[in-house]
Amino acid sequence: MTIESPNLRPIDRVVQFVERIAGITLGLVTLLVVASAIGRYGFARPLPDAFDLSRLILGVAIAWGLASVGWHGTHIKVDLLAQAVGPRARRWINVFAWLVLLAFTIALTWKIGNRVEAAMGGGDTTMDLRLPHWPFFAAIWLGLVAAVFTTALRLWRVLRDGVDLGEFDGIDESLLEDQK
Amino acid sequence: QEVTLRLSHWVPPTIAPASRGINPWAESVQEASDGRIAIQIFPAQQMGKAPDHYDMAAQGIVDIAYVNPGYTAGRFPIFSLTEIPFMTDDSVGAAKAIHTWYSENGGLEEMSDVKLCFVHPHAPGALHSKVAITSPEDIAGKNIRPAHATMARFVSLLGGGPVQVPAPEAREALSKGTAEAVTFPWGAMYDFNLTEEVPVHLDMPFYLSSQVMVMNKNSYDRLSDENKAVIDEHCSPEWSGKVAQGWADADMEARDQLMADGQTFNTPTEEEVAAWREAAMPLIDEWKETVTARGGDADSILDAYKAALEANDAAY
Amino acid sequence: MTNGFIASGGFVVLFALMALRVPIGIAMGIVGVGGFAMVVHPVPAMNLLSQSPISSITDFNLTLIPFFILMGVLATNSGMSAELFRAGRAWLGGFKGGLGLASVGACGGFAAICGSSVATAATMTKIAYPEMKKAGYPDAAATGIIAAGGTLGILIPPSVVLAIYGFITETDIGMLFIAGVVPGILAVLMYMLTVRVWYGRHLPPADKFSLSEGLAALRGVWAVGLLFIAVILSIYFGVVTATEAAAVGALLTAVIGMLRGRLTWSTLLDSLVEALRTSVAIYTVLIGATLFGYFLAVTQVPQEITTFLTELGAGRYGTLALILLLFFVMGCFLDAMAMIILMVPIVFPVITALGFDPVWFGIIVVMTVELGLITPPVGMNVYVINSIAHRVSLVTIFRGVLPFVTIDVLRLILLIAFPALVLALPGSME
Ligand code: NA
Ligand code: NA
Repeated sequence: MTIESPNLRPIDRVVQFVERIAGITLGLVTLLVVASAIGRYGFARPLPDAFDLSRLILGVAIAWGLASVGWHGTHIKVDLLAQAVGPRARRWINVFAWLVLLAFTIALTWKIGNRVEAAMGGGDTTMDLRLPHWPFFAAIWLGLVAAVFTTALRLWRVLRDGVDLGEFDGIDESLLEDQK
Repeated sequence: QEVTLRLSHWVPPTIAPASRGINPWAESVQEASDGRIAIQIFPAQQMGKAPDHYDMAAQGIVDIAYVNPGYTAGRFPIFSLTEIPFMTDDSVGAAKAIHTWYSENGGLEEMSDVKLCFVHPHAPGALHSKVAITSPEDIAGKNIRPAHATMARFVSLLGGGPVQVPAPEAREALSKGTAEAVTFPWGAMYDFNLTEEVPVHLDMPFYLSSQVMVMNKNSYDRLSDENKAVIDEHCSPEWSGKVAQGWADADMEARDQLMADGQTFNTPTEEEVAAWREAAMPLIDEWKETVTARGGDADSILDAYKAALEANDAAY
Repeated sequence: MTNGFIASGGFVVLFALMALRVPIGIAMGIVGVGGFAMVVHPVPAMNLLSQSPISSITDFNLTLIPFFILMGVLATNSGMSAELFRAGRAWLGGFKGGLGLASVGACGGFAAICGSSVATAATMTKIAYPEMKKAGYPDAAATGIIAAGGTLGILIPPSVVLAIYGFITETDIGMLFIAGVVPGILAVLMYMLTVRVWYGRHLPPADKFSLSEGLAALRGVWAVGLLFIAVILSIYFGVVTATEAAAVGALLTAVIGMLRGRLTWSTLLDSLVEALRTSVAIYTVLIGATLFGYFLAVTQVPQEITTFLTELGAGRYGTLALILLLFFVMGCFLDAMAMIILMVPIVFPVITALGFDPVWFGIIVVMTVELGLITPPVGMNVYVINSIAHRVSLVTIFRGVLPFVTIDVLRLILLIAFPALVLALPGSME
């Protein structure tokens, strides 16, 4: 990891690590659904709990992905006003937007924490293998906790350094430069 | 009008469980209260997903919610006894029996966050398939869409593959061959457009899926005494029987219609019936284990259930 | 305070938050919970957060969204989108405005393996915009063509928005996808016509066509063809469900990319991360729009709108026109997916009561929200192009895309007049 990305700061590395794990999880769910389809058509035997496991694991990946998006700022949002105003005003718009996101993420983390507690006592399980739900919910909750941290850090960077939200990889500007 | 109660359910507003069960119940409450209680009905998952409905009532998101305990495996272990096949052949008697039995045998603890209003089973559902299935061995190697977690276990036990798709997608799963059979109440053949996909029916009372209507406790406590009386009157084994009757009638009409349409009805022999019942025995053992592990007295709860069914003339 | 007043207030606050760059899903979620608290009570409103978001992210019926996103990302990262443009250029480049035609064609081809319009627009901006710029295309034309071409992403199957429509209305998603094929091809042709007729004269002359180059370019696009056929035919013939087709499609794209040496383990990992991020952005809108939907439902405003529309007596097509107008106006301000989640549950009962086909309406409504992607002030395709081609202002892109909006409306009228264009293909399934 350090070899391929020597210029990353520790926080970038942590986020990168987290999103890679989440990305791999997405890949695994894809394989699970394919394997289940093969099991059903090929052997008239679906994988036990493929239905419950794929949706629960994907939920975990999405929750951890929220941490990644909270950091990178690539949520779907309306840029019209932010683009029309100057850099100072834009910074304050960005601060406001990410403050609201942070507040929502905290509320969500709190309430889903309650859900995890309830699930630990409630005995919800998957349909076939009767695996308890709560470890999946707990993993979702941990992803949200991570999202609170990354969103707060991003907010801090917007406040302190005035960095913008969103990091689309633009076209190579030098390519267009040549054509002038 | 003094109070508005929000009632959420997850079935389309026009099909039997709503039109012949939920809606008449709500109308009766409004009438009996002389218009003091208004019930706003939110059908078709407008206020939340079907498996979330118990929590929605418990947490006050809505005042009254229609719950299928079978959608949340492991959550209501005692209630899941009612999902084991071949226990009853009459849903109206069973509705009253379940209401009384569950209230007296751990139901108040299992659903401690809410007030139980009524129990709402369909007429005993059947097994509908593309090719004839008459004995338990026929299940092996077949993909079957089960009604709930317990039927999923049953299919697994018999060597079949349970295919979990939501009811409205059953037709798609059948037409694509993802599933070759379904367990459904008779009415669902028309509600979900399945008549051409699975025209072969095993004509025996197979299983029950019992929904329950539950009410948020605070919403109840806030009511005036006379309004409480109206709700109490409507949350009774008698009302469970009434709403079950409405749904059962609709199911039997659908069965008659299927016969009139010339679909294939296979009536099992006595030996086959015995074989099916025998095959379901492990489900009872598994149920006992679960309940015992949760600290319940499984044997006495089971005996009480059988006695309640007998008392209501609804035992298999 | 009446519920109607609270609901309209909710929309005002929603648009204010969105204007201040609060992520759309978060804005909807906050207004949804806040509005629910005003109508019902704050405690149950907060409890919505314990239930609904977890249900949304763990819903099996939505898992096909990340799979189709992943398929599109893998296709891009293994060079398939560039190959499509090269093929388009080789065959259509000889006409006047040839690069524009090639861009539309490549957008259509890419839409056949990517489920999202924004992703289609983003991918094609990176590939086609520099080429058009180099050839001397005006910015308005170059970006307008891509913004419009990008909308094909949600019409030509696979499509995230069609999948969500199917999810909400319990309509067969596979059938919806098949129904999108003919209108998608029609859209490609009409867009090409617009490029020729509207922009053609002002565009620089084109490359010379060479048969050998044309054939060579075709050899590059077999993978896209294979993927489209594998996914769409397996849905058409009912071999697999749409979710399974999506997962198989993503896996197949990765395998093809690896076999051709275009994907390394490292780019595969990057693709997974990129697909996850895009999916998370989509799920955030889903979560928020669902919460906002519960708020609207509890105000009873949707029920009142439904009753109003039913009792209006405007006739079948009058009511349909009214509904589409509502979608068009709201589409100017709302995200396509958010609109489907909010508005379809409200109007769908009316549509079925009027006897319209749910599959046909799915295509019609997706084409209407497609317009929202390219109309100001909130046009996601335009935003994403602007975020990649920084120097082209939003206003320029909105200006460039205008002729395509007009042609889209024409196409809409055409498909309303001739529903068979939509329904013939899905009707022939099985
Ligand atoms: Na597409
Ligand atoms: Na718009």
